[in-house]
Amino acid sequence: MDATAGGAPQAKAHDGAPAPLEYRHTFSTRVTHWLSALALLVLVTSGLQIFNAAPHLDASDKSNPARRVLSIEGGQTPDGRPLGQVVLFGHAFTTTHWLGYTDDGMGGEGPRAFPGWLTLPGYQSLADGRLWHLFFGWVIVLCGAWYMAAGFARKDLQLLVLRPSDIPKLWPMQAYYLRLRPEPPAHGKYNPLQKAAYTLVLFVFAPLIVLSGMALSPGIDAIANPITVVFGGRQFARLWHFVFMLALIGFTGVHLALVASTGVVNNLRSILLGTYRPGKYEGTGP
Amino acid sequence: MKRRLFIATSVAALTGCGLNNKVNQSGFHQVLEKTQWLNEAVIGTRGSARLYTDADVDREFRTNGFDTPADSKYQQMAADGFRSYKLAVDGEVEHPQAFSLRELRAVQSLTQVTRHDCVEGWSAIGKWSGVPLAAFLRLVRPTARARYVVFHCMDRSPDNVPYYESLNMVQAAHPQTLLALDLNDKPLDADHGAPVRLRVPTQLGYKSAKWVGRIELAADYKNLFGGKGGYWEDNGYEWYAGI
Repeated sequence: MDATAGGAPQAKAHDGAPAPLEYRHTFSTRVTHWLSALALLVLVTSGLQIFNAAPHLDASDKSNPARRVLSIEGGQTPDGRPLGQVVLFGHAFTTTHWLGYTDDGMGGEGPRAFPGWLTLPGYQSLADGRLWHLFFGWVIVLCGAWYMAAGFARKDLQLLVLRPSDIPKLWPMQAYYLRLRPEPPAHGKYNPLQKAAYTLVLFVFAPLIVLSGMALSPGIDAIANPITVVFGGRQFARLWHFVFMLALIGFTGVHLALVASTGVVNNLRSILLGTYRPGKYEGTGP
Repeated sequence: MKRRLFIATSVAALTGCGLNNKVNQSGFHQVLEKTQWLNEAVIGTRGSARLYTDADVDREFRTNGFDTPADSKYQQMAADGFRSYKLAVDGEVEHPQAFSLRELRAVQSLTQVTRHDCVEGWSAIGKWSGVPLAAFLRLVRPTARARYVVFHCMDRSPDNVPYYESLNMVQAAHPQTLLALDLNDKPLDADHGAPVRLRVPTQLGYKSAKWVGRIELAADYKNLFGGKGGYWEDNGYEWYAGI
Protein backbone atom coordinates (compact mmCIF):
# COMPACT_ATOMS: atom_id res chain seq x y z
CA MET A 1 0.00 0.00 0.00
CA ASP A 2 2.90 2.31 -0.58
CA ALA A 3 3.13 4.96 -3.23
CA THR A 4 6.45 6.18 -4.45
CA ALA A 5 4.76 9.22 -5.96
CA GLY A 6 2.80 10.28 -2.89
CA GLY A 7 1.33 13.77 -2.76
CA ALA A 8 -2.27 14.86 -3.19
CA PRO A 9 -4.75 12.07 -2.85
CA GLN A 10 -7.42 13.48 -5.14
CA ALA A 11 -7.77 12.55 -8.77
CA LYS A 12 -5.62 14.52 -11.12
CA ALA A 13 -7.55 14.33 -14.33
CA HIS A 14 -11.02 15.82 -14.42
CA ASP A 15 -10.88 16.96 -18.00
CA GLY A 16 -11.93 13.59 -19.46
CA ALA A 17 -8.51 12.22 -20.33
CA PRO A 18 -7.40 9.39 -18.02
CA ALA A 19 -4.59 10.28 -15.67
CA PRO A 20 -1.22 8.74 -16.54
CA LEU A 21 -0.10 5.55 -14.78
CA GLU A 22 1.80 6.10 -11.60
CA TYR A 23 4.40 3.71 -10.15
CA ARG A 24 2.99 2.82 -6.78
CA HIS A 25 4.06 -0.59 -5.40
CA THR A 26 7.75 -1.40 -5.29
CA PHE A 27 9.11 -4.81 -6.24
CA SER A 28 9.59 -5.84 -2.60
CA THR A 29 6.00 -4.87 -1.75
CA ARG A 30 4.60 -6.88 -4.65
CA VAL A 31 6.72 -9.97 -3.97
CA THR A 32 6.10 -10.00 -0.22
CA HIS A 33 2.38 -9.36 -0.83
CA TRP A 34 1.93 -12.42 -3.02
CA LEU A 35 4.22 -14.68 -1.01
CA SER A 36 2.35 -13.68 2.15
CA ALA A 37 -1.00 -14.28 0.46
CA LEU A 38 0.11 -17.78 -0.53
CA ALA A 39 1.59 -18.39 2.93
CA LEU A 40 -1.58 -17.18 4.64
CA LEU A 41 -3.68 -19.54 2.53
CA VAL A 42 -1.40 -22.48 3.38
CA LEU A 43 -1.17 -21.52 7.05
CA VAL A 44 -4.94 -21.29 7.48
CA THR A 45 -5.69 -24.56 5.67
CA SER A 46 -2.86 -26.51 7.33
CA GLY A 47 -3.76 -24.89 10.65
CA LEU A 48 -7.30 -26.22 10.37
CA GLN A 49 -5.78 -29.64 9.63
CA ILE A 50 -3.77 -29.33 12.87
CA PHE A 51 -6.88 -28.17 14.76
CA ASN A 52 -8.67 -31.34 13.59
CA ALA A 53 -6.24 -33.50 15.60
CA ALA A 54 -7.59 -32.03 18.86
CA PRO A 55 -10.78 -30.20 17.84
CA HIS A 56 -11.31 -28.14 20.97
CA LEU A 57 -9.99 -24.90 22.45
CA ASP A 58 -9.69 -24.33 26.20
CA ALA A 59 -9.07 -21.09 28.09
CA SER A 60 -6.44 -22.80 30.26
CA ASP A 61 -2.82 -23.93 30.40
CA LYS A 62 -3.31 -27.72 30.40
CA SER A 63 -6.37 -29.17 28.67
CA ASN A 64 -9.42 -28.59 30.82
CA PRO A 65 -12.95 -29.43 29.60
CA ALA A 66 -14.39 -27.16 32.31
CA ARG A 67 -12.76 -24.18 30.55
CA ARG A 68 -13.70 -25.25 27.03
CA VAL A 69 -14.62 -22.36 24.73
CA LEU A 70 -15.05 -24.19 21.45
CA SER A 71 -15.26 -27.78 20.35
CA ILE A 72 -16.30 -29.27 17.05
CA GLU A 73 -17.63 -32.75 17.60
CA GLY A 74 -18.68 -35.63 15.39
CA GLY A 75 -20.90 -38.48 16.41
CA GLN A 76 -24.27 -40.07 15.87
CA THR A 77 -27.83 -39.18 16.74
CA PRO A 78 -29.69 -41.67 19.00
CA ASP A 79 -31.25 -43.20 15.88
CA GLY A 80 -27.87 -43.74 14.28
CA ARG A 81 -27.64 -40.85 11.82
CA PRO A 82 -24.44 -38.83 11.52
CA LEU A 83 -24.27 -35.73 13.72
CA GLY A 84 -21.83 -32.83 13.56
CA GLN A 85 -21.93 -30.19 16.29
CA VAL A 86 -20.17 -26.96 17.10
CA VAL A 87 -20.20 -26.27 20.84
CA LEU A 88 -19.41 -22.63 21.58
CA PHE A 89 -19.40 -21.55 25.26
CA GLY A 90 -21.56 -24.58 26.05
CA HIS A 91 -24.17 -23.88 23.36
CA ALA A 92 -24.46 -26.66 20.78
CA PHE A 93 -25.23 -25.93 17.12
CA THR A 94 -25.95 -28.70 14.66
CA THR A 95 -23.58 -28.46 11.70
CA THR A 96 -23.77 -31.96 10.18
CA HIS A 97 -22.09 -32.19 6.73
CA TRP A 98 -20.34 -28.84 7.30
CA LEU A 99 -18.42 -29.14 10.57
CA GLY A 100 -17.92 -32.03 12.98
CA TYR A 101 -19.21 -34.71 10.67
CA THR A 102 -18.15 -33.79 7.17
CA ASP A 103 -16.03 -34.33 4.04
CA ASP A 104 -13.12 -36.60 4.96
CA GLY A 105 -11.03 -35.46 1.99
CA MET A 106 -11.16 -38.92 0.47
CA GLY A 107 -14.52 -38.79 -1.25
CA GLY A 108 -16.63 -39.73 1.77
CA GLU A 109 -17.79 -38.27 5.07
CA GLY A 110 -16.79 -38.98 8.65
CA PRO A 111 -16.30 -37.48 12.09
CA ARG A 112 -13.96 -34.59 11.40
CA ALA A 113 -13.97 -31.00 12.65
CA PHE A 114 -13.15 -29.00 9.50
CA PRO A 115 -13.98 -30.51 6.10
CA GLY A 116 -11.33 -31.87 3.75
CA TRP A 117 -11.95 -29.15 1.18
CA LEU A 118 -10.81 -26.57 3.76
CA THR A 119 -7.73 -28.37 5.07
CA LEU A 120 -4.24 -29.04 3.80
CA PRO A 121 -3.79 -31.86 3.05
CA GLY A 122 -7.42 -32.71 2.32
CA TYR A 123 -7.28 -36.10 4.00
CA GLN A 124 -6.51 -36.39 7.72
CA SER A 125 -2.74 -36.05 8.24
CA LEU A 126 -1.49 -34.15 11.24
CA ALA A 127 2.11 -34.92 10.22
CA ASP A 128 1.74 -33.29 6.79
CA GLY A 129 -0.34 -30.41 8.16
CA ARG A 130 2.51 -29.65 10.56
CA LEU A 131 5.15 -29.80 7.84
CA TRP A 132 3.25 -27.28 5.68
CA HIS A 133 2.43 -25.07 8.65
CA LEU A 134 5.94 -24.86 10.09
CA PHE A 135 7.53 -24.23 6.67
CA PHE A 136 5.11 -21.48 5.64
CA GLY A 137 5.30 -19.99 9.13
CA TRP A 138 8.92 -19.17 8.28
CA VAL A 139 7.88 -17.87 4.84
CA ILE A 140 5.36 -15.39 6.24
CA VAL A 141 7.62 -14.26 9.09
CA LEU A 142 10.51 -13.59 6.70
CA CYS A 143 8.17 -11.85 4.21
CA GLY A 144 6.76 -9.70 6.98
CA ALA A 145 10.26 -8.75 8.14
CA TRP A 146 11.30 -7.94 4.55
CA TYR A 147 8.17 -5.84 3.92
CA MET A 148 8.48 -3.92 7.18
CA ALA A 149 12.22 -3.30 6.78
CA ALA A 150 11.81 -2.09 3.17
CA GLY A 151 8.83 0.09 4.06
CA PHE A 152 10.61 1.57 7.04
CA ALA A 153 13.73 2.30 4.98
CA ARG A 154 11.61 4.10 2.35
CA LYS A 155 9.92 6.06 5.20
CA ASP A 156 6.64 4.71 3.81
CA LEU A 157 5.66 2.48 6.66
CA GLN A 158 5.53 5.44 9.00
CA LEU A 159 2.72 6.96 6.88
CA LEU A 160 0.67 3.82 7.42
CA VAL A 161 0.63 4.10 11.21
CA LEU A 162 -2.58 5.34 12.81
CA ARG A 163 -1.99 8.58 14.72
CA PRO A 164 -4.15 10.27 17.39
CA SER A 165 -5.14 12.95 14.84
CA ASP A 166 -6.68 10.22 12.65
CA ILE A 167 -9.07 9.00 15.31
CA PRO A 168 -11.75 11.72 14.88
CA LYS A 169 -11.75 10.94 11.14
CA LEU A 170 -12.46 7.24 11.53
CA TRP A 171 -16.25 7.62 11.64
CA PRO A 172 -16.47 10.17 8.78
CA MET A 173 -14.45 7.74 6.66
CA GLN A 174 -16.74 4.85 7.59
CA ALA A 175 -19.73 7.11 6.79
CA TYR A 176 -18.26 7.66 3.32
CA TYR A 177 -17.99 3.88 2.75
CA LEU A 178 -21.59 3.50 3.93
CA ARG A 179 -22.61 6.22 1.45
CA LEU A 180 -23.79 8.47 4.26
CA ARG A 181 -21.32 11.12 3.10
CA PRO A 182 -20.47 12.12 -0.46
CA GLU A 183 -16.73 12.69 0.03
CA PRO A 184 -14.16 11.05 2.30
CA PRO A 185 -12.66 13.32 4.99
CA ALA A 186 -9.42 15.04 4.00
CA HIS A 187 -6.50 12.70 4.60
CA GLY A 188 -2.91 12.07 3.58
CA LYS A 189 -1.62 9.25 1.44
CA TYR A 190 -3.65 6.68 3.40
CA ASN A 191 -7.14 7.17 4.77
CA PRO A 192 -7.76 6.82 8.52
CA LEU A 193 -9.58 3.46 8.31
CA GLN A 194 -6.86 2.10 6.07
CA LYS A 195 -4.29 3.19 8.63
CA ALA A 196 -6.29 1.64 11.46
CA ALA A 197 -6.59 -1.67 9.58
CA TYR A 198 -2.92 -1.86 8.58
CA THR A 199 -1.71 -0.73 11.98
CA LEU A 200 -3.78 -3.45 13.62
CA VAL A 201 -2.67 -6.15 11.18
CA LEU A 202 1.03 -5.26 10.95
CA PHE A 203 1.70 -4.22 14.52
CA VAL A 204 -0.87 -6.12 16.56
CA PHE A 205 -2.32 -9.22 14.92
CA ALA A 206 0.75 -10.33 12.95
CA PRO A 207 3.10 -10.26 15.96
CA LEU A 208 0.44 -11.80 18.20
CA ILE A 209 -0.34 -14.69 15.86
CA VAL A 210 3.37 -15.49 15.61
CA LEU A 211 3.89 -15.24 19.37
CA SER A 212 0.81 -17.33 20.21
CA GLY A 213 2.05 -19.97 17.75
CA MET A 214 5.48 -19.93 19.38
CA ALA A 215 3.80 -20.35 22.78
CA LEU A 216 2.62 -23.80 21.65
CA SER A 217 6.18 -25.08 21.24
CA PRO A 218 7.49 -26.96 24.29
CA GLY A 219 11.05 -26.08 23.21
CA ILE A 220 10.30 -22.33 23.07
CA ASP A 221 8.29 -22.60 26.29
CA ALA A 222 11.42 -24.00 27.98
CA ILE A 223 13.45 -21.00 26.79
CA ALA A 224 10.85 -18.24 27.16
CA ASN A 225 8.03 -19.38 29.41
CA PRO A 226 6.62 -15.81 29.73
CA ILE A 227 5.44 -16.03 26.11
CA THR A 228 3.15 -18.90 27.07
CA VAL A 229 2.17 -17.28 30.36
CA VAL A 230 1.01 -13.97 28.82
CA PHE A 231 -1.48 -15.83 26.65
CA GLY A 232 -2.86 -17.62 29.72
CA GLY A 233 -1.08 -20.94 29.16
CA ARG A 234 -0.58 -23.37 26.31
CA GLN A 235 -4.19 -24.25 25.54
CA PHE A 236 -5.21 -20.62 25.90
CA ALA A 237 -2.46 -19.68 23.43
CA ARG A 238 -3.96 -22.23 21.03
CA LEU A 239 -7.32 -20.45 21.45
CA TRP A 240 -5.73 -17.02 20.87
CA HIS A 241 -3.89 -18.35 17.81
CA PHE A 242 -7.29 -19.37 16.39
CA VAL A 243 -8.89 -16.00 17.26
CA PHE A 244 -6.03 -14.07 15.61
CA MET A 245 -6.49 -16.28 12.53
CA LEU A 246 -10.17 -15.24 12.42
CA ALA A 247 -9.12 -11.58 12.70
CA LEU A 248 -6.69 -11.94 9.79
CA ILE A 249 -9.34 -13.72 7.71
CA GLY A 250 -11.70 -10.83 8.49
CA PHE A 251 -9.08 -8.34 7.32
CA THR A 252 -8.52 -10.38 4.15
CA GLY A 253 -12.27 -10.41 3.47
CA VAL A 254 -12.58 -6.62 3.74
CA HIS A 255 -9.40 -6.24 1.71
CA LEU A 256 -10.77 -8.39 -1.12
CA ALA A 257 -14.13 -6.57 -1.05
CA LEU A 258 -12.30 -3.26 -1.49
CA VAL A 259 -10.09 -4.73 -4.24
CA ALA A 260 -13.27 -5.70 -6.10
CA SER A 261 -15.21 -2.47 -5.46
CA THR A 262 -12.61 0.25 -6.05
CA GLY A 263 -11.48 -0.53 -9.58
CA VAL A 264 -10.52 -4.17 -9.67
CA VAL A 265 -8.34 -4.00 -12.82
CA ASN A 266 -6.49 -0.93 -11.60
CA ASN A 267 -5.96 -2.49 -8.16
CA LEU A 268 -4.72 -5.78 -9.58
CA ARG A 269 -2.42 -4.03 -12.03
CA SER A 270 -0.85 -2.06 -9.24
CA ILE A 271 -0.13 -5.07 -7.05
CA LEU A 272 1.05 -7.22 -9.98
CA LEU A 273 3.02 -4.67 -12.06
CA GLY A 274 3.29 -1.77 -9.64
CA THR A 275 1.47 0.82 -11.79
CA TYR A 276 -1.77 2.50 -10.69
CA ARG A 277 -3.96 5.00 -12.52
CA PRO A 278 -5.12 7.71 -10.09
CA GLY A 279 -8.84 8.32 -10.29
CA LYS A 280 -12.02 8.59 -8.33
CA TYR A 281 -11.12 5.78 -5.89
CA GLU A 282 -7.84 7.42 -4.90
CA GLY A 283 -7.18 6.92 -1.22
CA THR A 284 -10.28 4.80 -0.60
CA GLY A 285 -9.03 1.45 -1.92
CA PRO A 286 -7.76 -1.75 -0.32
CA MET B 1 -11.40 -11.46 -10.33
CA LYS B 2 -8.00 -12.77 -11.23
CA ARG B 3 -7.11 -12.86 -7.61
CA ARG B 4 -10.24 -14.77 -6.68
CA LEU B 5 -9.53 -17.23 -9.43
CA PHE B 6 -5.97 -17.56 -8.15
CA ILE B 7 -7.24 -18.34 -4.68
CA ALA B 8 -9.83 -20.78 -5.93
CA THR B 9 -7.33 -22.66 -8.06
CA SER B 10 -4.73 -22.62 -5.29
CA VAL B 11 -7.19 -24.14 -2.85
CA ALA B 12 -8.10 -26.77 -5.40
CA ALA B 13 -4.47 -27.49 -6.19
CA LEU B 14 -3.30 -27.62 -2.61
CA THR B 15 -6.14 -29.54 -1.06
CA GLY B 16 -7.02 -31.81 -3.95
CA CYS B 17 -6.51 -35.34 -2.76
CA GLY B 18 -4.82 -36.70 -5.86
CA LEU B 19 -2.30 -33.90 -5.93
CA ASN B 20 -1.57 -34.33 -2.26
CA ASN B 21 -0.39 -37.85 -2.79
CA LYS B 22 1.97 -36.65 -5.47
CA VAL B 23 3.23 -33.88 -3.22
CA ASN B 24 4.06 -36.47 -0.57
CA GLN B 25 6.67 -38.10 -2.75
CA SER B 26 7.85 -34.88 -4.30
CA GLY B 27 11.05 -33.00 -3.76
CA PHE B 28 9.00 -30.18 -2.25
CA HIS B 29 7.82 -32.48 0.52
CA GLN B 30 11.46 -33.16 1.34
CA VAL B 31 12.04 -29.41 1.53
CA LEU B 32 9.13 -29.17 3.98
CA GLU B 33 10.69 -31.93 6.11
CA LYS B 34 13.96 -30.03 6.28
CA THR B 35 12.29 -27.13 8.13
CA GLN B 36 12.84 -29.14 11.33
CA TRP B 37 16.59 -28.66 11.11
CA LEU B 38 16.11 -24.90 10.93
CA ASN B 39 13.79 -25.14 13.94
CA GLU B 40 16.32 -27.28 15.78
CA ALA B 41 19.09 -24.78 15.01
CA VAL B 42 17.01 -21.87 16.30
CA ILE B 43 15.28 -23.50 19.28
CA GLY B 44 17.46 -26.51 20.04
CA THR B 45 17.54 -27.92 23.54
CA ARG B 46 17.93 -24.98 25.87
CA GLY B 47 16.26 -23.74 29.02
CA SER B 48 14.03 -25.86 31.23
CA ALA B 49 10.42 -26.84 31.09
CA ARG B 50 8.28 -24.96 33.58
CA LEU B 51 7.87 -26.75 36.92
CA TYR B 52 4.35 -26.94 38.32
CA THR B 53 3.05 -27.78 41.78
CA ASP B 54 1.17 -30.84 43.05
CA ALA B 55 -2.06 -28.83 42.88
CA ASP B 56 -1.74 -28.64 39.07
CA VAL B 57 -1.48 -32.41 38.58
CA ASP B 58 -4.05 -34.34 36.52
CA ARG B 59 -5.01 -37.30 38.73
CA GLU B 60 -6.39 -39.12 35.71
CA PHE B 61 -3.49 -38.66 33.32
CA ARG B 62 -4.65 -38.96 29.72
CA THR B 63 -3.25 -41.85 27.68
CA ASN B 64 -2.57 -41.90 23.97
CA GLY B 65 -0.61 -43.89 21.43
CA PHE B 66 -0.50 -47.64 21.07
CA ASP B 67 -2.38 -50.10 23.24
CA THR B 68 -0.66 -51.50 26.30
CA PRO B 69 1.46 -54.50 25.27
CA ALA B 70 -0.72 -57.62 25.36
CA ASP B 71 1.90 -60.29 24.70
CA SER B 72 2.37 -63.04 27.27
CA LYS B 73 5.91 -61.99 28.13
CA TYR B 74 4.81 -58.49 29.12
CA GLN B 75 1.71 -59.79 30.89
CA GLN B 76 3.81 -62.24 32.95
CA MET B 77 6.24 -59.49 33.94
CA ALA B 78 3.36 -57.24 34.89
CA ALA B 79 1.68 -59.98 36.95
CA ASP B 80 4.95 -60.40 38.80
CA GLY B 81 5.22 -56.68 39.58
CA PHE B 82 8.04 -56.45 36.99
CA ARG B 83 10.43 -58.29 39.32
CA SER B 84 11.82 -60.15 36.32
CA TYR B 85 12.17 -56.96 34.23
CA LYS B 86 15.66 -55.94 33.19
CA LEU B 87 16.51 -52.77 31.27
CA ALA B 88 19.32 -53.76 28.91
CA VAL B 89 21.78 -51.13 27.69
CA ASP B 90 23.97 -51.95 24.74
CA GLY B 91 25.55 -50.59 21.58
CA GLU B 92 28.15 -47.85 21.85
CA VAL B 93 28.76 -48.17 25.59
CA GLU B 94 31.81 -49.21 27.55
CA HIS B 95 29.72 -51.10 30.13
CA PRO B 96 26.82 -52.92 28.49
CA GLN B 97 24.61 -54.14 31.30
CA ALA B 98 21.05 -54.79 32.42
CA PHE B 99 19.30 -53.06 35.30
CA SER B 100 16.51 -54.43 37.45
CA LEU B 101 13.94 -51.93 38.69
CA ARG B 102 15.58 -51.99 42.12
CA GLU B 103 18.95 -51.21 40.61
CA LEU B 104 17.42 -48.38 38.57
CA ARG B 105 15.80 -46.84 41.62
CA ALA B 106 19.18 -46.95 43.38
CA VAL B 107 20.94 -44.88 40.68
CA GLN B 108 19.46 -41.49 41.55
CA SER B 109 15.97 -40.11 41.89
CA LEU B 110 14.43 -36.91 40.63
CA THR B 111 10.80 -35.80 40.95
CA GLN B 112 9.35 -33.13 38.70
CA VAL B 113 5.84 -31.86 37.97
CA THR B 114 5.82 -30.99 34.29
CA ARG B 115 3.37 -30.51 31.47
CA HIS B 116 3.09 -33.10 28.75
CA ASP B 117 2.33 -31.51 25.37
CA CYS B 118 0.90 -33.89 22.82
CA VAL B 119 1.56 -33.28 19.13
CA GLU B 120 -2.22 -33.48 18.68
CA GLY B 121 -2.58 -30.29 20.67
CA TRP B 122 -3.74 -31.30 24.16
CA SER B 123 -1.71 -30.93 27.36
CA ALA B 124 -1.76 -32.66 30.74
CA ILE B 125 0.30 -32.23 33.89
CA GLY B 126 1.87 -35.11 35.78
CA LYS B 127 4.24 -35.65 38.68
CA TRP B 128 7.04 -37.81 37.41
CA SER B 129 9.80 -39.50 39.39
CA GLY B 130 12.67 -41.53 38.07
CA VAL B 131 16.29 -41.63 37.09
CA PRO B 132 17.76 -38.64 35.25
CA LEU B 133 18.95 -40.10 31.97
CA ALA B 134 22.22 -38.18 32.32
CA ALA B 135 23.04 -39.99 35.60
CA PHE B 136 22.10 -43.32 34.04
CA LEU B 137 24.35 -42.72 31.02
CA ARG B 138 27.30 -41.88 33.27
CA LEU B 139 27.07 -45.43 34.65
CA VAL B 140 27.13 -47.16 31.28
CA ARG B 141 29.67 -44.77 29.75
CA PRO B 142 28.83 -44.03 26.11
CA THR B 143 31.80 -44.42 23.77
CA ALA B 144 33.10 -41.49 21.73
CA ARG B 145 31.18 -42.85 18.74
CA ALA B 146 27.81 -42.63 20.49
CA ARG B 147 25.68 -39.78 19.08
CA TYR B 148 22.16 -41.02 19.78
CA VAL B 149 20.33 -42.80 22.56
CA VAL B 150 17.75 -45.14 21.04
CA PHE B 151 14.83 -46.40 23.12
CA HIS B 152 13.42 -49.76 22.03
CA CYS B 153 9.93 -50.26 23.39
CA MET B 154 7.77 -53.28 24.17
CA ASP B 155 4.63 -51.99 22.42
CA ARG B 156 3.79 -52.49 18.77
CA SER B 157 1.66 -50.67 16.23
CA PRO B 158 -1.55 -52.33 14.99
CA ASP B 159 0.46 -53.67 12.04
CA ASN B 160 3.05 -55.06 14.45
CA VAL B 161 5.87 -52.54 14.04
CA PRO B 162 7.78 -51.94 17.28
CA TYR B 163 7.78 -48.44 18.82
CA TYR B 164 11.16 -46.80 19.18
CA GLU B 165 12.46 -43.30 19.73
CA SER B 166 15.81 -41.54 19.79
CA LEU B 167 17.43 -38.49 21.36
CA ASN B 168 20.76 -36.91 20.60
CA MET B 169 23.31 -36.69 23.39
CA VAL B 170 22.42 -33.08 24.25
CA GLN B 171 18.73 -33.91 24.60
CA ALA B 172 19.59 -37.05 26.58
CA ALA B 173 21.83 -35.07 28.93
CA HIS B 174 19.19 -32.40 29.59
CA PRO B 175 18.66 -32.38 33.38
CA GLN B 176 14.90 -32.81 32.98
CA THR B 177 15.10 -35.86 30.70
CA LEU B 178 13.99 -38.74 32.89
CA LEU B 179 13.66 -42.49 32.81
CA ALA B 180 10.39 -42.21 34.68
CA LEU B 181 9.33 -44.97 37.07
CA ASP B 182 6.51 -43.26 38.97
CA LEU B 183 3.56 -41.12 37.95
CA ASN B 184 1.71 -39.13 40.62
CA ASP B 185 3.56 -40.87 43.48
CA LYS B 186 2.73 -44.40 42.32
CA PRO B 187 4.73 -46.81 40.18
CA LEU B 188 3.70 -46.38 36.53
CA ASP B 189 0.66 -48.47 35.69
CA ALA B 190 0.54 -50.59 32.56
CA ASP B 191 -1.36 -48.01 30.50
CA HIS B 192 1.14 -45.26 31.32
CA GLY B 193 4.19 -47.23 30.20
CA ALA B 194 5.13 -49.54 33.11
CA PRO B 195 7.68 -50.20 34.28
CA VAL B 196 9.93 -47.58 32.60
CA ARG B 197 9.07 -44.74 30.26
CA LEU B 198 10.96 -41.78 28.97
CA ARG B 199 9.93 -38.24 29.91
CA VAL B 200 11.24 -35.40 27.74
CA PRO B 201 9.28 -32.33 28.90
CA THR B 202 11.07 -30.00 26.48
CA GLN B 203 9.69 -31.84 23.44
CA LEU B 204 6.33 -33.10 22.21
CA GLY B 205 4.83 -36.20 23.78
CA TYR B 206 5.74 -38.73 21.13
CA LYS B 207 9.37 -38.42 22.24
CA SER B 208 8.37 -39.63 25.72
CA ALA B 209 8.36 -43.30 24.75
CA LYS B 210 6.46 -45.72 27.00
CA TRP B 211 7.30 -49.36 27.90
CA VAL B 212 11.04 -48.95 27.34
CA GLY B 213 12.59 -52.42 27.16
CA ARG B 214 16.08 -51.74 25.90
CA ILE B 215 18.36 -48.76 25.40
CA GLU B 216 20.87 -48.72 22.60
CA LEU B 217 23.57 -46.13 22.10
CA ALA B 218 24.23 -45.63 18.43
CA ALA B 219 26.43 -43.66 16.08
CA ASP B 220 23.39 -43.08 13.86
CA TYR B 221 19.73 -44.05 13.57
CA LYS B 222 19.63 -44.28 9.78
CA ASN B 223 20.03 -48.07 9.75
CA LEU B 224 17.26 -48.64 12.31
CA PHE B 225 13.71 -49.49 11.15
CA GLY B 226 12.51 -46.73 8.78
CA GLY B 227 15.70 -44.73 9.28
CA LYS B 228 14.11 -41.53 10.62
CA GLY B 229 14.90 -42.11 14.29
CA GLY B 230 11.52 -43.12 15.69
CA TYR B 231 8.21 -44.83 14.98
CA TRP B 232 6.31 -41.57 14.39
CA GLU B 233 9.28 -40.08 12.58
CA ASP B 234 9.10 -43.04 10.18
CA ASN B 235 5.45 -42.05 9.70
CA GLY B 236 5.98 -38.45 8.68
CA TYR B 237 6.51 -36.58 11.97
CA GLU B 238 9.65 -34.56 12.61
CA TRP B 239 12.59 -36.02 14.52
CA TYR B 240 13.05 -32.61 16.16
CA ALA B 241 9.93 -32.40 18.31
CA GLY B 242 10.66 -29.16 20.18
CA ILE B 243 7.90 -27.38 18.23
